[in-house]
Amino acid sequence: MSQLIQLFPLLSILILLIFGAFLTPLLKRKKIILKLHIAINSLVTALSFITLFYVAKFGPFVFQIGHYPAPFGIVFKIGPIESSIGLMFSFVMTMVMWYSIFSLEKEIKEKRVSFFYILNSLLLASLLGIVYTSDIFNGYVFLEVSTLAACGIIIVKDKKENIKAAIKYLLLSSLGSGLVLMGIAFIYSISGHLNMTYIHGEIIAAASDKTNLLLISLILFTIGLGIKSAMFPMHVWLPDAHTNAPSPSSAILSSLVIKAPVVFLIKIYYLVYGIEFISNSNVFELLLIFGGFGMIMGSLFARRQKILKRLIAYSSVAQMGYIFLGIGLGNELGLTIAIYHMIAHGLTKSSLFLSAGSFIEQTGFKNIEDFKGIGKEMPVTLGIFTLSALSLIGIPVLPGFISKWNLALASIESGKIYLLAIILISSLLNAVYYFPIIINGYFGEDNLDGKVFRSKSKPIKELIPVIILSLVMVAVGFLSGSVINFIKSGISIM
Amino acid sequence: MKTKIIENIVKILIPLIQVFGIYVILFGHISPGGGFAGGSILGSSIILFRFVYGSEHTDKKYPYKYLMRTVSIALIMYGSLKGMLFILDHFGIDKIIPVGVPNTFLSGGSIIPLNIMIGLVVTITFYFIAILFEEGELEYEHASE
Repeated sequence: MSQLIQLFPLLSILILLIFGAFLTPLLKRKKIILKLHIAINSLVTALSFITLFYVAKFGPFVFQIGHYPAPFGIVFKIGPIESSIGLMFSFVMTMVMWYSIFSLEKEIKEKRVSFFYILNSLLLASLLGIVYTSDIFNGYVFLEVSTLAACGIIIVKDKKENIKAAIKYLLLSSLGSGLVLMGIAFIYSISGHLNMTYIHGEIIAAASDKTNLLLISLILFTIGLGIKSAMFPMHVWLPDAHTNAPSPSSAILSSLVIKAPVVFLIKIYYLVYGIEFISNSNVFELLLIFGGFGMIMGSLFARRQKILKRLIAYSSVAQMGYIFLGIGLGNELGLTIAIYHMIAHGLTKSSLFLSAGSFIEQTGFKNIEDFKGIGKEMPVTLGIFTLSALSLIGIPVLPGFISKWNLALASIESGKIYLLAIILISSLLNAVYYFPIIINGYFGEDNLDGKVFRSKSKPIKELIPVIILSLVMVAVGFLSGSVINFIKSGISIM
Repeated sequence: MKTKIIENIVKILIPLIQVFGIYVILFGHISPGGGFAGGSILGSSIILFRFVYGSEHTDKKYPYKYLMRTVSIALIMYGSLKGMLFILDHFGIDKIIPVGVPNTFLSGGSIIPLNIMIGLVVTITFYFIAILFEEGELEYEHASE
């Protein structure tokens, strides 16, 4: 039985590729395609859930692929971090798929719908691959697949801005993967291995006389994966891509696609280089600077936006800043909170994008000032939006608060008290740009003038996936103690 | 460019190219070559056919619908065969598939079918890429009608 469960990570990737991506072009009827994809994604979510339980009960395991043992074959290493992130990815993808059944055809041409689902399956398979793999080149290949699939889900809308945004993303992202490939080449020339554990052994032996080469490769990895995960000065592709893509794509892009490279980066830091080498270099200070600037500048940029989806996209830049700040603190709590915040932000941002998408779909407006009084017309949707926004601002019990609180504790623990100011300012700025939308949506005589109660609201059936997403988000906040402990148990064995 | 000379020479040339491509695919496991190399040779033959005989004639001969179907089936078979091998290997029963003997054609075990699948996928993908860059659009609408 346990041998069967250890198969699940590979099995979920195979199912997604074979049935999700390769079988769909053969099918003609759209209803069958939709049902097939919902079934596949639910199955993958269930498999990830079972894997998570298995890991929680019996501890992490190593799964070998490719007919040969470790240094030659590929190895999947499934621990608490990998299984929880994998569950989050597949769950959010399932919910977004569910939402997209009702809304996708209003945004993209009918011919492209099956294309969208094919790309989403490819994307989820490659993201799960990045998260699970312990082979550095295998991770690179999955990274490339995820880049191309992500470009596809931006471009699927077939408008001029989409093509522009996707080409911008493709160029910057290719630059990022080029840097990662160069880093792998440096590492391979030193160690002669591609498996992370074996590279680590060789690097420790070579660390004293090849320090500069190792430092160069470390920076190449940091910048390359930083571009892909929208680290602050390299975030320029993100707002265009997330604004112009159809809303389900925006939700996937901002809650899944920019998280997977961070997981890969954490694996490279801790499994390949090891904590001794990393803490002797200055790379964590670099992450602190980039993360801190991202938290403040991302919020400041978001404050100035007039288009709703663009505001949420810039807010993603700020939230990625929190994750990089947590990694950059360099202690156990900081890393734990970085991973917890990945899960929290993934759930929050997807429900935020989906509810913003339903505003746009029902009213036809794009700009923030047109959404005054939307709370009377679409009370439930704005309620979901409010809940998610409150989580990002940092209202207690919601997951955004938990990560901010623990991030503050971690920065005190590491002796960098000035970071508290950055966290506080960033939270206040979050409030500054989210509250006007909510307040103008629900209150104000002028705003509500002439609006009819629930006149534009979506049927509740179509909102169920978003409601489930926000409920799970609240649950992650309530159960934060056990979630954080679970992640911590994964970090201590890393 | 469409003259009688080119058409007649291409008529002779294409079968030669295709036979060579098939040879490279089939002997990939015991000599230099393989699915990707052979598939690119086969793909170049179809691209040559299209450039010489024009897009309408080629679309009739190789309709988009059938090519897409071939790619999907080849990918499904590749994925299920290789995935099955991985899964069997995990359970320790990979003895079902024999290990190949050098210099014997029918010996590579699962490598020959996998190479053929890769060859098909690469052939059609190369052809599609060439059309995309030359004409800007795959023959989408008029093939599906």
